[in-house]
Amino acid sequence: MGIQADAEPAPAPQLERRIDRLSAPLLVSWQLTRDCDLACLHCCTASAPGKRLTDELSADESMELAQALLGAQVPYVMLCGGEPLLVPHWLELAERLGMGGVQLKIETNGQRLDPRHLERLARLPIRSIQVSLDADTQETYGRQRPGGSLERAHAACRGVRDAGLPLEITFAPTRLNIHEAEAVIDRAVALGAFRFNSGSLMRIGTAARLWQKLEPSAEQYRQFRTLLERKAASPDTAGLELCYTPFSTTEALWESLREPPATLLVLPQGWVKAAGPLPHICADLRRHTLSQAWDRYRSAWRDPELMGAVRRAAELEALQEAANDWAPLSTFG
Amino acid sequence: MSNVNLKVQEAGVTDSIEERQTRETPASDKPAWETPKMEDVSREVMAQPYIRFT
Repeated sequence: MGIQADAEPAPAPQLERRIDRLSAPLLVSWQLTRDCDLACLHCCTASAPGKRLTDELSADESMELAQALLGAQVPYVMLCGGEPLLVPHWLELAERLGMGGVQLKIETNGQRLDPRHLERLARLPIRSIQVSLDADTQETYGRQRPGGSLERAHAACRGVRDAGLPLEITFAPTRLNIHEAEAVIDRAVALGAFRFNSGSLMRIGTAARLWQKLEPSAEQYRQFRTLLERKAASPDTAGLELCYTPFSTTEALWESLREPPATLLVLPQGWVKAAGPLPHICADLRRHTLSQAWDRYRSAWRDPELMGAVRRAAELEALQEAANDWAPLSTFG
Repeated sequence: MSNVNLKVQEAGVTDSIEERQTRETPASDKPAWETPKMEDVSREVMAQPYIRFT
């Protein structure tokens, strides 16, 4: 795929990097499936109905990986997708992890989260149920999330709070919905959310394919940043953390060069990405143990091939469009 | 598991973290491992738009 290694300055001494001091990742972001019941225009994983990969981890494999995460004392696991609730064993997986002491975040579009799920989740150490609210009117929500019901998403949010679980809202800004951002923030407050996540639209996946249609203008982004700062300082949002920095994946990639994230991004077939906005694969959990995968991840962040790719993707956002064209690092072996 | 070979070294592990440290850090040039701590997670999540904002 033409990724070339740059000449690289000497890496920082090993002990200065947090990932070299940790016996396991701080968190694992585990994409359970590419399948989704919606076909959102902004989706960074290009998930949609019927997009399930043919080689996604089975229920048995997923349970074994969960056991490995417990054994490694990974403190936090995010279950996401696609829509994780489409995976038949998602709740059993959450229970295996949660009952073993792992704290959990579940990311969902809220279309099929029902009280039976919430009753079981309420027994687990849940740090966050994150529901995507990309609009405050059905008209706009339906344009950005074709086939989606805003009322169902709102009902899911209310159900989360009624079950005593922590609610987190995420908002992906596009030219279609950015005018409703303030209403969504106000809605998040009214729903009792503890956090509102946003940032710039990621030029990855479906969003990259539709970039010309979706990318907010510079003026829209300027107004959006002003709104976020104003809302963050407002007493009206007391109790709601607004999280929007670093604002872009580009900013985050620059920071990663200094301090690589202590995070493993696990794809539905068990591959481990070196970085979200990049296509490089550094391990395969069907071939490597979790500790081997963690070692390989740490090695990847010393690899000149990856360092060069990170820098180029940080300098030119359009290169992040290849993030889902997965390919192993040369050292993948 | 059917035709796959998911290697899970830690599956069913009941040994202590100290035992695991011993197993995984035989080389003298490696530092003593730090066990990941939940209190370090929030900043980690927030620093990554790709995962905090999907």
